[in-house]
Amino acid sequence: MNQMQEKKFSERLPIDFKKIAEVILNEPIPGHMKNWFYALGATPLVLFIFQVVTGILLTFYYVPSPDLAYQSVKYITEEVRLGFWIRGLHRWGSNLMVIAIFLHMVRVFFTRAYRKPRELNWILGILMLITTLGLCFTGYSLIYNQLSYWATTVGTNMIKEIPIFGSLFLRFLRGGETVGVNTLTRFFDLHIGLLPTTLFVLIILHIVLVRVHGVSRLEGYEDDEIYRFYPEHMYHVAVIALFLLTVMSALTVVLPPGVGEPADPSTTPLHIKPEWYFYWIYFLLKYLPIKLGIALILVALIVATFWPFIEDILKKKFPKVKWHYIVGSVAIVLLLIFTVYETIIY
Amino acid sequence: MEKETRREFLEKIFVRVAGLSALALTLLNIAKYIYPKISPPKLRKVLIAKEGEIAPGEAKEINFGGELLFLVNLGKEYKVFSGTCTHLGCKVRWEGHKQRFFCPCHKGIFSSDGKVISGPPPRPLDEFKVEVDREFVYMWIEEKQSGRTI
Amino acid sequence: MLQNEIRTQKLVIGIFSILLTVVLIIIAGVEAKRTTETKPVIEVSGINKRCVSCHTERGIAVKAIDQWKESQHAIKNIGCIDCHKAEQGDFDAFYCPDSDILVGKHPTPKDCAECHKQQVEEFAQSKHAHQFWVIKNDDRSIFEPTIATRNGCEQCHNISIVWPDQSVGECDACHPKHTFSRAVARQPETCGECHIGPDHPHIEIYLESKHGNIFRAKEKQMDLSYSSKDLKKIPIEVPTCTTCHMDGNETQPSTHNVSARLAWESQAAWSYRTVWLQDKLGDWKVKRGRMESICKSCHSPDFVEVYFLTADLVNLQYNEIRRSFVYWVKKLQKNGLIKELEANGKKYSDIVLNGWDEEPEYLMYHAWHHEGRRFRHGAIMMGADYTQWHGIWELQNDLVELIRWAAERGDPEAKKWVNSTHPSKFMPYAIYDIPGNAWGINALSNKVQFLYVNYKDYWDRVYQNVKYAYEKGLLSEEQWQLWLKRYNNKEHYLGTKYNVDSVYAYYQQLNAIDTKAMNEQVVNMQLPGKPFYEPGFGFMVEDNKAKSKDMVRRKEELNNNRQGTTTGGSVK
Repeated sequence: MNQMQEKKFSERLPIDFKKIAEVILNEPIPGHMKNWFYALGATPLVLFIFQVVTGILLTFYYVPSPDLAYQSVKYITEEVRLGFWIRGLHRWGSNLMVIAIFLHMVRVFFTRAYRKPRELNWILGILMLITTLGLCFTGYSLIYNQLSYWATTVGTNMIKEIPIFGSLFLRFLRGGETVGVNTLTRFFDLHIGLLPTTLFVLIILHIVLVRVHGVSRLEGYEDDEIYRFYPEHMYHVAVIALFLLTVMSALTVVLPPGVGEPADPSTTPLHIKPEWYFYWIYFLLKYLPIKLGIALILVALIVATFWPFIEDILKKKFPKVKWHYIVGSVAIVLLLIFTVYETIIY
Repeated sequence: MEKETRREFLEKIFVRVAGLSALALTLLNIAKYIYPKISPPKLRKVLIAKEGEIAPGEAKEINFGGELLFLVNLGKEYKVFSGTCTHLGCKVRWEGHKQRFFCPCHKGIFSSDGKVISGPPPRPLDEFKVEVDREFVYMWIEEKQSGRTI
Repeated sequence: MLQNEIRTQKLVIGIFSILLTVVLIIIAGVEAKRTTETKPVIEVSGINKRCVSCHTERGIAVKAIDQWKESQHAIKNIGCIDCHKAEQGDFDAFYCPDSDILVGKHPTPKDCAECHKQQVEEFAQSKHAHQFWVIKNDDRSIFEPTIATRNGCEQCHNISIVWPDQSVGECDACHPKHTFSRAVARQPETCGECHIGPDHPHIEIYLESKHGNIFRAKEKQMDLSYSSKDLKKIPIEVPTCTTCHMDGNETQPSTHNVSARLAWESQAAWSYRTVWLQDKLGDWKVKRGRMESICKSCHSPDFVEVYFLTADLVNLQYNEIRRSFVYWVKKLQKNGLIKELEANGKKYSDIVLNGWDEEPEYLMYHAWHHEGRRFRHGAIMMGADYTQWHGIWELQNDLVELIRWAAERGDPEAKKWVNSTHPSKFMPYAIYDIPGNAWGINALSNKVQFLYVNYKDYWDRVYQNVKYAYEKGLLSEEQWQLWLKRYNNKEHYLGTKYNVDSVYAYYQQLNAIDTKAMNEQVVNMQLPGKPFYEPGFGFMVEDNKAKSKDMVRRKEELNNNRQGTTTGGSVK
């Protein structure tokens, strides 16, 4: 493109792409980010992109109707060329995404990266976590086999217990008394429309906030060396992307996605369990009265969401105590115990 | 700019080739996924009549897989025609006394071997391959793909 | 510094790209290996659609529909009504409830013959279709209640059912409805539904043979659903029952006439060369030729021929043993020691076959119907244990028992036999033999038999017998030549011309050690605590005596009480 053409072009589309590219690519990155642990924020993003791509590919063959959902999943897995691969990527992607988000949160939490002025970004993060779990839940139910059907039934039944709006919300989700045609189409809408869009917007806000605030410095290391986003950090992300794609592809070969039995609304299978990342909820509901369990979960969510502010209040009262270490460790240990316990006892 | 050393050059080539091959394979696999495999249709023969069941010059209505078909004994050979008129998809009927197929919708007329005699149909009736094995008359049909049955 | 880091990162990217490429190639490989087997889509149309939907709705014989969907019939568009069609007046015609569909309840071979004409005809000319059990029916007619026969004999022998429409046979005895599966028909257990038990343990013989053993071991790798028409090679490694008796190979077409390849009537009281429909099927040599050409798909001609010759001699030997049995019962009958059953001038037993009230008749029945068949069928189908312990061993026991019975009833000749101490007494009949066997040359085994070790003219007498059998047409020219070949070189085939004494001596030594150990350990010992029973005066210790008295008393009381209540009941 010569200069004349360039000028003509920019007259018609008066946006300075060069400037934008410069801003994006020249973002200063603190030196500690070279440590891989600090690049975990990019991992969910990369995975999100994978999920979008593979998700779109899956909709090419998936049919969201109770009669055909299971069959079409079976068809994708067993007959479409490389269908098992795409489905495997999508499935493993969702699992890894939950793990990646969790690790990212752990890192942020223990380095107190949410501290003033970045409280809002923490809240955005929590919202993204919830959205992601929502995506996982709705996605799982779309398979429409026995396990996913009953996990959906149980999972949605929980919503009823939410105070005041519970049953309204439940009926909104199910579109009827039981899980059925309407539930499936609603979940499909949520899974491929509303939730990904929400997540996308949240991600943009999250990144914009990160960029506007600048990447947070480690407490006590405020003056470490700075490098540019491009090329170093870009390479970081590229390596992560390649690594993830490799690992997920390999996992697909070793542990290919199954199909299971088709959903049968008249018989509940002997062992039903949610996906592993809901084990902690499953645990609480199993051993506590349902109202108490739901209340606990809600409280935990609220505390997590507003933690930066809560910590401030606590700090004012007990300035010496390192609250984030205590609360973080306790939360992680509890989550691990619940998850491991449920994994072992089956 | 510094002059590239031989080693740097090789490294650059390595990274690019590796990256390109991974990208190409990924895209290729995705393309394979998107474009369904078109395998040659599997054919299967089904029994439709026994020899001697239909007199020469007679036809038999066959209902197969929700399709109306006609088996005609032309004397020296058998033929199977689709009962769907090639004009606008009405069902034709066999008129034995006139040795013809007649479509009531726009008065299309086909001869007993499926050719258009008069009326608007643009082409002869669709035909299925027939095989006579010993005393059995078979018709060849295309195997439906089991994945998408509904 | 920074430059270096970027270089490393680039390298890492390169390495991961390679890794990804490898994994993707593996995935493509997995994809290529996957076979997408598409099952044919079964179309149900016309009247069959009404059958299927109504049956499904009412839950009547729904499994039959599923089975049909698995069948070749379904794939070829042959539906319910094609077999179940009926005309007004047919013996099995009825209107399906709430419909105007006239249905035949029992499709018979006549219906099957609409398409499978050849198979039905072949079957009708086989002994499967033969109603001999109705023709010769003594045990059924007198010894068992009919209800037992209904559930017993009749269930198996229904394979020769004569239908009111005059067609013969029961196709689904082997091709179970409604899959009519070839694989099931070929499964040995299908034949074994009937060919089992003391009188014809064919499934047991098969399973103990090498054939059956290999079949069991490799069953899972074998697909028994193949078509065996058109002179194709046998696609399975080891034969099932049908492979030899029915299926085809390159030289033989498959047949539904199970009698087309059998050379003996070895189920009969005497083994005789079959004449079953020989104008159509050829004489026994032709039939044997068919069987051999199947065997030779896997085995060398020499092995097959020697094997069958050996087994044929077993059949002939059986006849000689039987001759002794018949001699004795006829003599006993003549002397009035055993009698036949009779009513209204009709005989209901036959001393040379059966009869259930006198010991010798039992022995006759068993020596033919049970052990006699096991002996012969075991020999011809590689069931060593059935030739040996379930066969000849029991046959010989029967014979000894028969002669002893006669001796006890005062027959002088029998008494003489009983009192004889000569080892040849167990073979009061003529002998067949062949030098060696089909499996190899055993340089040791022919040193022990009493007769041919002690009689110089053993082989001369055997020669005469075999020659006589050949001249009577019981052995073929080729078999006679084969026998002569072995006879003329018998030192080789018997292994007697080979010196293996050193090997023998070694095992004799080992045997001596074993025997010595047995003697030392257990034979020559006497326990110090005496047994409680002593011949002549067994007695009880006082204590026990009291106890037993007590028991007797209580038992009496109990009886008395019971009587009391019953009488009390009757009084009321």
